[in-house]
Amino acid sequence: MRKILILPILLAVLSGCSSHKPRVALFLYNGEDLFMQSFADKIVAMAGMDIELSVFDAQNSQLLQNEHIENQIKEGCDLMLINPVDRLGAYSVIRRLKSENIPVIYFNREPLFKDLLLWEKTWYVGAKANQSGQMQAELVMELFGNDPGNLNRYDRNGDGRIQTVILKGEQGHQDAEIRTSEVVRSFRLMGFDLDILITEVANWDKDEAYEKMDDIIKTYGHDMELVLANNDAMALGAIRRMRQKGMFKDSNGNGRVDMDDDSWIPVLGIDGLEQAVQMIEEGYLYGTVINDSLSMARAMRDLSEAILNGRNIYDLPYRIEDNKYIWIDYQAFIKNH
Amino acid sequence: MKKLIRIDLSIGQSILISTLTIVTVVLLVTGTIFYSTFSLRTDELVETQSREINKQIVLNFENYINSLIETANYIQTSSLNLDLQENRNRLQEIYVLSREGKRDVISIFLFDLEGNALLGGSSRRNRFLRPDMELWFLNALRDLGIFHFSPPHTLNSQDDEEVISVSKLVDYLDGGEQKKGVLLLELNFRTITSLAEKSNLGEGGHILILDDNDSLIYTSTEGQSAALESLSLARRQNLGGFKASINSIGMYGNINTLSQTRWRIVTMYNIDEIGRAKKQMFSVLSFILLGSIGITMSVAIFISRRISGPLNQLKKYMLRIEQGDFTSRVEVSGQREIVLVADSFNDMIDEIRSLMDRLITEQREKRKSELVALQNQINPHFLYNTLDSIIWLAENERSDDVITTVVALARFFRISISKGQNFIPVSDEIAHIRNYLTIQSIRYTGKFEYHFEINHEILGNKVMKLILQPLVENAIYHGVGEETGLITIRGYREGEFIIFEVENTGYGIPEEKIAQLYRILNGEEEGQSVGLKNVYQRLKLYYGDEADLVISSELDEMTNVRVLIPAAVPGGVKQ
Repeated sequence: MRKILILPILLAVLSGCSSHKPRVALFLYNGEDLFMQSFADKIVAMAGMDIELSVFDAQNSQLLQNEHIENQIKEGCDLMLINPVDRLGAYSVIRRLKSENIPVIYFNREPLFKDLLLWEKTWYVGAKANQSGQMQAELVMELFGNDPGNLNRYDRNGDGRIQTVILKGEQGHQDAEIRTSEVVRSFRLMGFDLDILITEVANWDKDEAYEKMDDIIKTYGHDMELVLANNDAMALGAIRRMRQKGMFKDSNGNGRVDMDDDSWIPVLGIDGLEQAVQMIEEGYLYGTVINDSLSMARAMRDLSEAILNGRNIYDLPYRIEDNKYIWIDYQAFIKNH
Repeated sequence: MKKLIRIDLSIGQSILISTLTIVTVVLLVTGTIFYSTFSLRTDELVETQSREINKQIVLNFENYINSLIETANYIQTSSLNLDLQENRNRLQEIYVLSREGKRDVISIFLFDLEGNALLGGSSRRNRFLRPDMELWFLNALRDLGIFHFSPPHTLNSQDDEEVISVSKLVDYLDGGEQKKGVLLLELNFRTITSLAEKSNLGEGGHILILDDNDSLIYTSTEGQSAALESLSLARRQNLGGFKASINSIGMYGNINTLSQTRWRIVTMYNIDEIGRAKKQMFSVLSFILLGSIGITMSVAIFISRRISGPLNQLKKYMLRIEQGDFTSRVEVSGQREIVLVADSFNDMIDEIRSLMDRLITEQREKRKSELVALQNQINPHFLYNTLDSIIWLAENERSDDVITTVVALARFFRISISKGQNFIPVSDEIAHIRNYLTIQSIRYTGKFEYHFEINHEILGNKVMKLILQPLVENAIYHGVGEETGLITIRGYREGEFIIFEVENTGYGIPEEKIAQLYRILNGEEEGQSVGLKNVYQRLKLYYGDEADLVISSELDEMTNVRVLIPAAVPGGVKQ
C-alpha cells in the first residue's frame, strides 16, 4: 500500500562519504511534473561534491512530503529545499524547522509572506507569477499585430476580439490564479478584447489537458483563436489533441508546420520545457515564457552555500527582497527569437 | 598455579545441569532475540499504524475539502466565464444548484467589494447586515488567492447550529469587465465533526483540529484535560509524530496539515492496546521458557534416575559381594545399557563363584592326599620296630609274648586302617594306643609303666585318628631311662576343646630345646622330630588354626605334650 518513492541521490560516492558533509534535502511536490523534473535535474547537477543531496518526491501528497520532512529532521538534515505541495501548510513546516534550527529555502511554490516571517532562516527563490502572465500576453499581442483596434489575420472571424481558451493549472494554486488573471488583465489593460470561451482547469498536467481538450474542441473548435496554457505541459497536451483533431496541418506540403496554414492556431505555454522549445522549433507551439529554472537553481545553490558556510547572504549578487525573496525574471521565447 | 577445582557430581546432577544449561541458554538467547525483534517490530508497527490512521483521517478531510473547493472552483470559473450582466439567471442557477447539490453547504454567495450580495443565497434566512465588516470578508481581502476557513461559529443567537465560513477573493466578469469580489461558502460544521467521529483511535484516542494560530477548532474528546494536554503537545510539536502519555494512557500523536485550509489535524492514537500484545508476547515467552525448563528438568531427572538408579543398586550388590556374599544376584531395571552391565556382572559373579568352588574342592583334595601321605609315614616305621621286637621275642622263645604282640599288632593295624576312615571315635583311638603300648611294653619290659585317665564323656567323640600314637612313641623313646618311667595318657573335655595329654617322667626338656621344637613344628627349622611334626601338621591341616599342640616340661621331672582339638568339628573337616 505504501507507495513511497524515495530517490536518494547520493553525490558523495567518490569522496568517501565523510559525515562532515552538510546534508541537504530536496523535496519536490511531484516528480512527474515535467518542469519540476528538469528543475530538479539542474539542482542536482549543480550541487557540489561537498554536500550530500537527497531528493524526495511527494507525489503530490502533502502528507507524504510531511513524512519525508520529518524523516529528514531525524536524519540530521542541515538545509532543506522545499517545493511544497500545499503552500498554505508551509507555516507548520516552517515552525517545526525553526524549533529544529534547520534553514529552509522554498522554491517554485510560494508560501504566504507571513509564514516566511515565522523563521528568519527561511527564504523563497522563484519567479513572479504575474510577470509570466504579462509576458505571455505580450507575445500574443505581438502576434496579433500589436494594435487592439486592428487585429491581423489571426483574428479568424474578424470580429476584433480574440476567442480564447485558457488551460489553467491547479485551481487555487497561486501561480495558476495569478497567471490566469494576469494574462487576462494585461490584454484588457492594452485594450485587447478577449472572449474567454472557457477556463479549463487541467492541473498542470499534460494528459489531463489532452483529455479535456477533446470536449473543448468539440464545443469551441470553430471559434477558437487562441489557446493559453498556464504551463508548457498543458500546452503540449493540448497540441497533441489538436493535431489529432486535424489542426497544425501541412496543407501546402512543404514538410513544415506553417503559421500561415488555416489549421494553425497559436498555443502558448509557460515554463520553457525542453520539449516545448522543440515544439516551438517545429512550429506547433507558438511561444513560451521561460521560467528560468537554471537561474533559479543557480540562485538556490549560491544561497545554500552561503547559508551552509555561514557567509553573509547579502554579499550574494542577488537582490533579496524583504529579506526573504530572490526573484528570477521570466524570459519570453518564440521561434527565431 | 591455579588450583584446579574438582567438581564431583553425580550422573544425575551432571545430566540435569548440562541439559538445563543448554536449554536455558538456547531459549534465553532465542527468546531475547525474538522478543526484541518483536517489540521493535511492534514499535514500528505502532508508529506506522498511527501514522496511517492519521493519514487516512487527513485524507478523508482532504477529500471533503477538495470536493468543496471543486464546487467553489466551478462557481468561480463560471463567474469568470459567464458575464454577470448577460447571464445573471444562469449564474444564479449555478449558485443555487451548487448549494443544493451539497447537503452540508448552507450558503453560497458572491459579494462585491462593497459587501453587496451579487449572486447566490442561503438555505437559512439571510443574516448579513454588513458583510464587509465580517471577519471572513476582511480575511479574503487580506490574503489574496487563497480560501479562508473560519473557526466554527453560530449562525445567530437563537440558533446553535455551527457553521464554518469559507471565503476567497475571486474574479468575476461583469459587463465585459473583470472585477474582484468575495466568494463565500458556509458549511455545516457537523459534517466535519462526523468525518472525525468515524475513525477508530482506540480507547481515549482523539482528534484535534487546530488553525494556523494554534487555536482549537475542534476536538473529538469530551475530556477537557485530555484535549488541553494534546493541544499543548501539538503546539510544541507543530508537525509530525510524537509519543505522549495522556491521562496515563500511552498515545502516539501525529500532526499533519490539511491542504488548502491552513488547518492541522492532530490524531492521538492509543498505543497501549498494541503495547499489550508486547506484554502478552512476553508472558507467553516466559511461560514457554519456564515450561521448557520444567519439562527438561523432569526428563533429565527421569533419564538420570534410569541410569543412576540401577548403578546405585549395582554398587550395593558389589558391596555385598565384597563382603563375601556370592549368592545374591543383581536384579536391576532401568536403562538398557545398565541392565546389560548388571547382567554381565551377574555372569561374572557366577564365573567367580564357580572358580572359587573349584579352588576349594581342589584344595580339599590336595589336603586329603597330603594327610594320607602323612598317615602312611607312621606305619612302616612302627611295623619295622614291632617286627624287630617279635623276632627278638621269638629268639628268646617267649612264645606267649609273641602271641600277645602279634594279636596287638593285628588290632593295631585294624584300627589304623579303620576301613579307610580318617576320623574314629576316641574309644577306638584309645584302644589303638593300648595295643601299641602292649606291643611296646613287651619290647621294653620293665622299662616303663603306663596308665590312662580318660573321661568317659569324650569316648563317643570322633577325632582324627593316629594322633596319640606318635606322641606316645616319643614318650617311650625319650622318657624311658635307667629308672622305670611312667607314661600317663589323659583325655578330657575343656570348654570347646577335647584335650589329650601325653606325659612322661624323665629328664624333661630344656626351654631352648622346646623353642627349637616349635620352630621345627612350624617348618622353620629342619629337625628329627618326625612324629611330632607329623601330628602337628595334620592337626593344622584338619582342624585349622584353633587346634594346637603345646609342649611343656619340668626338668628332671616330666615332659607333657597337650593336643587341643576343637570339639565343634566332630568329623573334622567335612569329608
